[in-house]
Amino acid sequence: MKKLIYLLFTIATSINFYGQDKPFVPLRIIAIGAHPDDCDAKFGGTAALYAKLGHKVKFVALTNGDAGHQDMGGGILGKRRRAEAKKAGEILGVEYDVLDNHDAELIPTLSVRHQVIRKIREWDADIVLGLRPNDYHPDHRNAGIAVQDAAYLVIVPNVTPDTPPLKKNPIFLYMQDGFQKPYPFSKDIVVVIDEVMDQKQRAFAAHESQVFEWMPWTMGMNENEIPKGENERLEWMKNVYLKQKKLDKSSLDALKKWYPNTDATKVKNAEFFEICEYGKQPTDEEIKYYFPMLK
Amino acid sequence: MNVIVFGAHPDDCDNKMGGTAALFAQMGHRVKFVSVTNGDSGHYEKGGGHLAKIRRNEAQEAGKKLGVEYTVLDNHDGELLPTIEVRHQVIREIRKWEADIVLTHRPVDYHPDHRYTGVLVQDAAYLVIVPNVTPDTPPLKKNPVFLYLQDHFQKPNEFKADITVDITRVFDKKMDALDAHPSQFYEWLPWTAGKLLDVPKNEIQKREFLIKEWSRPISDKARESLTKWYGPEKAEKALHSESFEICEYGKQPTDEEIRELFPMLNN
Repeated sequence: MKKLIYLLFTIATSINFYGQDKPFVPLRIIAIGAHPDDCDAKFGGTAALYAKLGHKVKFVALTNGDAGHQDMGGGILGKRRRAEAKKAGEILGVEYDVLDNHDAELIPTLSVRHQVIRKIREWDADIVLGLRPNDYHPDHRNAGIAVQDAAYLVIVPNVTPDTPPLKKNPIFLYMQDGFQKPYPFSKDIVVVIDEVMDQKQRAFAAHESQVFEWMPWTMGMNENEIPKGENERLEWMKNVYLKQKKLDKSSLDALKKWYPNTDATKVKNAEFFEICEYGKQPTDEEIKYYFPMLK
Repeated sequence: MNVIVFGAHPDDCDNKMGGTAALFAQMGHRVKFVSVTNGDSGHYEKGGGHLAKIRRNEAQEAGKKLGVEYTVLDNHDGELLPTIEVRHQVIREIRKWEADIVLTHRPVDYHPDHRYTGVLVQDAAYLVIVPNVTPDTPPLKKNPVFLYLQDHFQKPNEFKADITVDITRVFDKKMDALDAHPSQFYEWLPWTAGKLLDVPKNEIQKREFLIKEWSRPISDKARESLTKWYGPEKAEKALHSESFEICEYGKQPTDEEIRELFPMLNN
């Protein structure tokens, strides 16, 4: 019996060894949000996990965020937010591009569609993440449309011919939202992000103009309520945003499917994704390949 | 009966309702296909006006095979947006054809041009009867019946086979119409699917390839709809069909009116 176990062990390790002979090809993921901080909030944890595993992630903000403040604006704010985005990207281990379209004025024009197509092609993306076109902010909805409209066209050589087309239509996924109409977000894929939650929080906090200034202002908070010290601010932030939510039944079902060996009741933080019908339609096996952190 | 079909590209109408169009034509009704774009992006080594010219000629050829008129509008492929200008083009086409039935894509189809064609035609519904809209072309007296062509998308709701036409006896004609678009069915579409090398050279094998790639078995829901319109016996014998969904923005026909609008259902 011992010999048999030894034999099986040897076979198993040699198969594994053979597997390691194959050169590692990093996956290439691009997440496209409307403002600098959208991708971080909805995909920051999963992005950090990809980066840790050696895969290549890029965040794109389609607007420069130049309307997102109560007493700053325009190019000055755009510049500040670009710098915040770079810092957040460094914390997560991802690239961060901020396009120079005005905040709160995004329309899914051909010119923006072409910007999106170029970004996806230049990144040679396997997976593209976008917002659903029924999110709360018009920039979110229009960013969602611009990304949907790039699906399929990214493989057409005559479209945006200044940038070579992709060979295959990537997988397109939606990042999570809470909107119910015309149908609620479908939790097709879940990624547990507990081990990188700290990174996600620090990346989010890097958007100082938003997290400690603009968003509290929109929520009617008093400036004096916000602590000044670095660690105190981070603690404060954790309680205001990115709060751990109780996982509902659909979340637990998704966890059971993608993490069959994990006790779902112990999971604290997760990110969810819905498969868009306009990209490649992956099988469950393919999803496991494209999300190597699932286990 | 005057029937007008709007597809995004030259070949969409043929693919989605070529069979039903051929049946209408055989019974003496007038059918017009309109491609809202000129298809000038749909190739891997040709493009622009040169490709548009090839595709316009292919469309004319396909129209002849089916016995329908074919108009190709000069909007760029891959760049269609639901602008007022294109909406007016659509309104003019519907009015000039004095359409009883208007068909188009659902605005949830896979290609942005398909989605926006769907939006444009939806937006023409009702406005076709308003004299102050696009006043260079006299309005219709009645809002036509608007129908969607079939697709397989599930969100926000799946396609509903309200009307299903048995096209078994004109299936060959439909394939003739697809065959008239060689730049698409033997070049561009196989290229996008990574199957360019699988395209056979001789005519018999080409036809087999076309049928294999572009005919689908009749779904359970389509069979159910066939049974409603043709009765169980005929429905069971059908080999090929085309289904249509009633759009809420046009006239809402009763079953009796549908039988008048689709006289082939009574055969």
